[in-house]
Amino acid sequence: MRIGLGVAAVVLLLAAPAAVGDPFIQRVAALVLLTAISASAWNLIGGYAGQVSIGHAVFFGAGAYASLLVFKLFAWPPIAGAPFGIAVSLVLALLIGVPTFRLRGHYFSMATIAVAELIRIVVGNWPLLGAAVGLMGPAVPRGLADLSFLSPLPYFYIFAAVEAALLWVTWAMARSRTGYYLRAVRAGERAALSLGVPVLRYKLVALLLSAGFTALAGSLYAVMVGYVDPESVLGILVSVQMVIVAALGGAGTLFGPVLGAVILVPVQQATNAAFGGSGSGLTYIVYGAIILAIARFRPGGLLELLHWRPRRAA
Amino acid sequence: MPPEPLLEATGIVKAFGSFRAVDGAGLTVREGEIVGLIGPNGAGKSTFFNCLAGDTQPTAGLIRFAGQEVTRAPADAHARAGMARSFQVPVTFEDMTVLENVMVGAFLRHPHRRDARERAREMLEVTGLARQAEARAGGLGTPGRKRLEIARALATEPRLLLLDEALAGLNPTEVRDAIGFVRGLHARGITLIVVEHIMEVILSLAERAVVFNQGKVIAEGVPRAVVDDPAVVEAYIGRSLAGRRLRRRRNPP
Repeated sequence: MRIGLGVAAVVLLLAAPAAVGDPFIQRVAALVLLTAISASAWNLIGGYAGQVSIGHAVFFGAGAYASLLVFKLFAWPPIAGAPFGIAVSLVLALLIGVPTFRLRGHYFSMATIAVAELIRIVVGNWPLLGAAVGLMGPAVPRGLADLSFLSPLPYFYIFAAVEAALLWVTWAMARSRTGYYLRAVRAGERAALSLGVPVLRYKLVALLLSAGFTALAGSLYAVMVGYVDPESVLGILVSVQMVIVAALGGAGTLFGPVLGAVILVPVQQATNAAFGGSGSGLTYIVYGAIILAIARFRPGGLLELLHWRPRRAA
Repeated sequence: MPPEPLLEATGIVKAFGSFRAVDGAGLTVREGEIVGLIGPNGAGKSTFFNCLAGDTQPTAGLIRFAGQEVTRAPADAHARAGMARSFQVPVTFEDMTVLENVMVGAFLRHPHRRDARERAREMLEVTGLARQAEARAGGLGTPGRKRLEIARALATEPRLLLLDEALAGLNPTEVRDAIGFVRGLHARGITLIVVEHIMEVILSLAERAVVFNQGKVIAEGVPRAVVDDPAVVEAYIGRSLAGRRLRRRRNPP
């Protein structure tokens, strides 16, 4: 019964954008899913393992830049850059994680910000990567492999498939020893160590998995938008958005990041439409308000509300 | 030739800057013993205990456990070798259920979830927490948290269990229950090192007491004899008072 209802709801949600037919709404729906992918990826390390990264833009940017760089250099379809973006992300994740995960406290968070900002500045001055101007994708689609569509609908379904795969990986991980170990690490590293949890190794596994999927999200973004520059894929706002979306819905829960994206992205699009421009100033204000609201009222995120009911007598 | 001791720590020094919290202490524990570690506040017993558990690395000395040298091995390696511990202030994984807390321990020897859960349920039975299995661990009170800590440690299937003031903060009834419980653990074949402030606990539990003062072992032996050792009495209550106490003993009022 419950499973049947769930399947029906998912089918309905998947069919809705096609039925609506309004390209603006379809585009918002695709962006909701893309945002959900990056927030779900962040959730692996920031939510389950409790290691708050505020520099995930570096992985997102690696995926985005790799996609358009393989097009610029070899005229390959942008999606072919995804494996390179993922590889670069994994190396960066090791460079950040190995030294900082040995330390307790906020060193990891600080290091992620520092590395992300450093890379943003380097990329902004690197002619191979288009410096401050950025990189362009194919101006005209050359074939299906370019994944360049006028309608947002195909992106919506591609993103839905990727998010479904990511949620499945997250679900399987959360049920396994790895999931239990990560939650133990989040709750108390010393106690986890005393129970034989190799804390450093598990934090690294979570970070690598997270970084890889975040890079994939970046590649998908570049494929859809067809243009990247340092601010739009490496800016701190990109990192902060992942944190906010996951925390709003519920960090460390399976569907929290999806719920966060469903709420936040339409609000963002509405403020952009209403106030014009990129709206980045206003976006900051909205983010600030959300951070305050979560910290004050629902540290566990909105999903917690669903579980927040009086315990029934057994 | 007697079998090799389960745990052998020699010449342990832990220095923080110029201060030596542990200053050349040693301890040998044979399989099946219950050893009590006592001493006044600041005697270095907790620091020594943390060195044994791998929570902190000693500045000098040697620790052998179950035939391996573990002096500088991290705490998770100690756990794999068969050593488990409780914390003085319980570290509960608050957002997990009681059962899930214990499963984290059980996963060490049982990588599959189903096996780990089964093992964890057994440990909840042993520790009397079975009825709270599905409750959020953060909702437990102090006695519950202390039991949970022990259940979690036992789930790693240790040969040696280190209890750091596991009975502190319990009321007298709870202390009596806990003493019976620790005896039960010993009956299951687990070797125990018990750090404790409450003398009654050491007297009724330990076969051997080791007394710390100022980072050194000042006495060692049968608990009854050790507590009457003038050096121990002096360490606890100071020279002048000790003299008075001894005199009173000789001439009871």
